[in-house]
Amino acid sequence: MRQKSVYLACFVLHFLLIITISCRDMLWLVAHKLTILPSPFSLLAEKVESIPSVALGRNLAASNLVRRALLTYLHIAGIERGYGYFAPNVPESYKLVFELHYPDGRVEYQLPRVNRAAAGLRVAGLLDEIGRTRYDPLREYMVKMLASSTWRENPDVTMIRAVFGSISLPSISEFEHGKRESYEFLYAYDFSRTDEATELETP
Amino acid sequence: METWKERILQFLFPAGSDTWLAVLRLGLGLQVVLYALSLLNDWNYLFAATGSGLVSRNLGEAILALESPFVPRLGWLIALGAHVGLGEETVLSAAWICLLAAGCGLIAGLFCRCSAILAWFLHLCAAKSGAFVSYGVDNFMTIGLFYLMLSLLPDRFSVDRRWRKLRAKDRQWSRRAPGDMDGRAVRPSERERASQLLGFYRRVLQVHMCLIYFFGGITKCLGSGWWNGANIWRALTRPPFDIVPPEILVRWKYFLPVLGLSICLIETGYPVFIWLKKTRMIWLICVLGMHIAIGLTMGMYLFALIMIILNAAAFGPGVSGTESKGSAVARRRPASV
Repeated sequence: MRQKSVYLACFVLHFLLIITISCRDMLWLVAHKLTILPSPFSLLAEKVESIPSVALGRNLAASNLVRRALLTYLHIAGIERGYGYFAPNVPESYKLVFELHYPDGRVEYQLPRVNRAAAGLRVAGLLDEIGRTRYDPLREYMVKMLASSTWRENPDVTMIRAVFGSISLPSISEFEHGKRESYEFLYAYDFSRTDEATELETP
Repeated sequence: METWKERILQFLFPAGSDTWLAVLRLGLGLQVVLYALSLLNDWNYLFAATGSGLVSRNLGEAILALESPFVPRLGWLIALGAHVGLGEETVLSAAWICLLAAGCGLIAGLFCRCSAILAWFLHLCAAKSGAFVSYGVDNFMTIGLFYLMLSLLPDRFSVDRRWRKLRAKDRQWSRRAPGDMDGRAVRPSERERASQLLGFYRRVLQVHMCLIYFFGGITKCLGSGWWNGANIWRALTRPPFDIVPPEILVRWKYFLPVLGLSICLIETGYPVFIWLKKTRMIWLICVLGMHIAIGLTMGMYLFALIMIILNAAAFGPGVSGTESKGSAVARRRPASV
């Protein structure tokens, strides 16, 4: 009986964590007005948004042992994030194009390349991650990493311009009227042999 | 109060067979093998450190270390390999081979526990080190492998049980105090205890699946695009999931809102209708159908497979109301002492 109680306690704790994380993610969406709920709900969600985060120890210092233990458990159990895939709406898609400049003035265009479709899905996820990040140096660093891998495949290239943009998808009716997907410019970075990146433009 | 506690315990510790565990083991074994094979030519490229990979593994690991330094990562293995003079590429290749071997071990049911732990650990290392290149499938694989690793392996269909005559260890279960049933002191046999513990782990998986779909469904219901079919259109035309030509989708445009609403209904209703005997079969078929469709129309084969495996293991065995021979023991009352 005692062992059953221990299992029961673990069960309750485990699922409380899952529910808390899922609620936190949902409240974030409501608070940021990304759902169909009217604004009073957003205001309410904004107020209570911090409760699940506090329950998950997010207000504790990064070095706090309880916080670290909790986060470790969440990661090893695979429950560190909620389950709102493609919800409440399908997110934007991003594209990264490399403009390869050769010493003879030739210019070629290339996309980040992997060998198999399965890895291609992962690269698409990486581009989404780059597109979502609001921290400019991190975005630049990630684009630079991708540019470096392209450089290794094309050692003759003297300069790479990385153009990052979002893909605008037409709605059904727009598609029926002849509109097709378009590429919307977001950021561009120039990488030369010195590895110094220059951000050209931002919207 | 006592009745409630008893009911909760009866719900959480139902006696049952280990067929679901065999489904989970076989399925996750297959998933791990396909996962490893799908990354055969890109493994080192995706998980290499600065200077030789697609995006630095070090970056992902540094961000992970800010959250917790105790989460397994490939960097640990590479540091370990460096101590014995092995290069990064060699260690990464060895990790891939071990992962593939662990997947094969799970399929065969050979060294089940070790294979499950190894598969969970190596996959977790890859998923965490390559956080920037991981997506939903990695999350669900971690969940499945975590439960499999903790469950009462080996199951009766495994090579371990059949050839090596190993039985699932039941050390963690009480052997001290007899329980009380109908005013009589009873001590459940080891088989019955194991059966109840198997039932507990299955309940954990079942409840987790319910929460996954419930929150996924509720969040979808909060998006306008799922009510009018716009999100189905966007999901199917969004690169790199644009396998079906949009010209074909346009022909089915009146069907898309129905499809969107159906997905909301299936997911949100899952925690209710999957438990009711009358609707269990139809709900399971609907969910499996939904994942097969996601796999085929969006090219997310691994994602579809892991969801099918988790659903099949959680609610598949016994869905038709018949139980296998192995569960006969489970239905017997505990023997009196």
